[in-house]
Amino acid sequence: MKNSMKFLIMVLVLLAIPIVILAQTEEPKEKVITINAQQFSYTPGTVEVNRGDRVTIRLISTDVHHGLYIDGYEVSTDARPGQDGSLTFVANNTGKFVMRCSVTCGPFHPYMIGYLKVKPDYRLFGSIWLAVGIFISSILLVIRRQKP
Amino acid sequence: MEKKQIMEIIAGILVLLATVGTIGAALLYDEHLWGGTRTIELTAQAPERGNWNMQEIHLVRGEPVRIKIRNIDTVSHGFAIPELGISLNGTGEIKPGNVAVIEFTPEKAGNFLFTCTTWCSTQHMQMTGRIIISEK
Amino acid sequence: MTEKILGLFPVDWRFELTSLPYVRKIIKSRWMPFLPIVLNLSVFTIILMAGFVGGVSAGNYNFGIMFVWIVWWLLLMMVMVPFFSRIWCMICPLPAFGEWLQRLGFMKVRNKLFGLNKKWPKSLKNMWLVNFLFLGTTYTTGFLTTRPIATFILLMSIIIGSIVLMVVFEKRNFCKYIGCPVGGFLGLYSNMAVTEIRAKNPQICKDHKHKDCVIGNEKGHACPWMIMPFDIGRNTYCGMCLECFKTCPYDNMAINLRPPATDLLVDKNRGLDEAWKAFIMLGIAIFFFLIMQGNMGFLKDWANAKTTEGYLTFVVLHSIFNLLLIPGVFFVFVYASHTFGSKEIPLKKLFTNFSYTLVPMGLIAWIAFSFGILFPNSSYVLHVISDPFAWGWDLFGTAHFPWTPFLTGVMPYFQIGTLLFGLVLSLDIGFKISKQTFQKRDEAVRGFIPIAAFLTVVTIFLIWLFTG
Repeated sequence: MKNSMKFLIMVLVLLAIPIVILAQTEEPKEKVITINAQQFSYTPGTVEVNRGDRVTIRLISTDVHHGLYIDGYEVSTDARPGQDGSLTFVANNTGKFVMRCSVTCGPFHPYMIGYLKVKPDYRLFGSIWLAVGIFISSILLVIRRQKP
Repeated sequence: MEKKQIMEIIAGILVLLATVGTIGAALLYDEHLWGGTRTIELTAQAPERGNWNMQEIHLVRGEPVRIKIRNIDTVSHGFAIPELGISLNGTGEIKPGNVAVIEFTPEKAGNFLFTCTTWCSTQHMQMTGRIIISEK
Repeated sequence: MTEKILGLFPVDWRFELTSLPYVRKIIKSRWMPFLPIVLNLSVFTIILMAGFVGGVSAGNYNFGIMFVWIVWWLLLMMVMVPFFSRIWCMICPLPAFGEWLQRLGFMKVRNKLFGLNKKWPKSLKNMWLVNFLFLGTTYTTGFLTTRPIATFILLMSIIIGSIVLMVVFEKRNFCKYIGCPVGGFLGLYSNMAVTEIRAKNPQICKDHKHKDCVIGNEKGHACPWMIMPFDIGRNTYCGMCLECFKTCPYDNMAINLRPPATDLLVDKNRGLDEAWKAFIMLGIAIFFFLIMQGNMGFLKDWANAKTTEGYLTFVVLHSIFNLLLIPGVFFVFVYASHTFGSKEIPLKKLFTNFSYTLVPMGLIAWIAFSFGILFPNSSYVLHVISDPFAWGWDLFGTAHFPWTPFLTGVMPYFQIGTLLFGLVLSLDIGFKISKQTFQKRDEAVRGFIPIAAFLTVVTIFLIWLFTG
């Protein structure tokens, strides 16, 4: 049993290494991003920034009144054709945050979604690491029980 | 009557109440809510999807009226009668599936424009109609 | 040594809920489940009215859309099925008219049912028809979940269809095999539930030759779901109608609390129809997420039928993904299991048995999916309960309650936590099924590894898709 525990710990540590490497942080910058809103998506569909960046989003609507609400950060703005919206925030929380339209803009309004990704995505790396850990543990557990 | 028959009748009444009764209660409640003043039901849709259900609203000077504006569209609309200084409270917008109610008594006769006040489509400027107020 | 679910709950642990005071008395009354059905009927009347009156207005502000696709769906996936098995079937108002017509009464018990009472053909006594019906219904998801009139049409079709078909086919064949789009997944996923209906003392049933529960008597109807209450192997086809509680002269039926997922270990009536149901449910969780909670505008245009070609592309890809791709990928891992475990076990048996590991995976995927609806969009419910028909009402003062997402920051953690729990449970069930299927333990271990890998890959994929 001790051997398999050692094995598990070793694998988990080894797995953590690429995660730590991937999770390199970058210097915070000022970022200004223009997002176009149209029925029923945003262009670009994904916005990627780094942790600590001061992000300003300029929202442009090309057809009807749209909004933009960011999960987690809980900030929002809206735009009509010819009347842009804007919001600014510091991306202190990492991970993927859903950007949702906050103004009913047509039948598919609830499905009008974009993604804000604040790197590094510790949460994603951590969950994958956990999932792999569960996998390896389960294998070790069933092998271990074989030897009475 | 046997107990079983009574149970059956009560069961039947409950089913009727649940179905027809619910519909009836809804209709009765709605009538009760809007009773009294003359109520005009105006539905709002963007011009390309039907526009207002009424292009002309006929009122009588001095008669109190209630205009119930139902937004049955999938985008927000607004409502105003600029020449009479009538507009919606708050944001001036009626969200989809929502209803705004305006109550007033027309004071002067004439032919006035009513219009949507929220950018709702590329044809928004065509979302208008006329209020025609006549003498008694 | 008794097997334990998650190493904690002995597989044969049961607590009899009907032993609690008043519970059994209530269950045995003919007012149960009649009264809950009638209450539900009232809610459905409002749903149908709202759907009809709503037309093509905004779904998120419509009572019908909100109560079917948000309230009911979320309650079904997150509460009803995992905790209470097929309790929805107990109170479903859709076949109620058909059943009252068959019985020519509401409370009356008559043992000859009105109608042609045709038996359902044996070759179709499986989930294949409902698999395709469900898949067909999902082609319309873009409309069904956003246009009130579409929900009205679907529900009315089921009601009318049930009345017609229940006068043709006997008892609850409509619910089991024909017309309920969600019957298939309710049946399969109810295997996960921590509640069950079973006979209390099997010996009493063994000695009791005249099976009142199957034939019916003056106290209640023959089991409308056409199962044998004295020998219910899995929750799959028990619609919890409670007739057997009324007919049993020995009061030998019970509702038990039990560990989750125990039915998945019952090797009874496993089949490819259920395997495909599991594939379809998992596939749809993925495909629907992409359409409804994804950021790809073209997919939404396809589902919304912006162009005919786009819509047909969606229908074809959706079908291939669910019917061929997911089973195909799973097959590769099963083949590996066959190779490493033991080639003596028929591949078909391995494939069928291991497909049941996708039941916990699928249900949990749907629960994680549901969190993605609950936190952002459930606030619309407050508007629709105050003004269900957009007639300008304000019954509870919440008609102007604004759209209010809540806890969206922690939402991903709920999803990840649920998915990781789902992985643990699926692995547990997977290994137990592996031991059942292979002859020797070392074969079971080797054969389990590829399946465990598949489940882990699916979990990681879902975590990435939903939250990453």
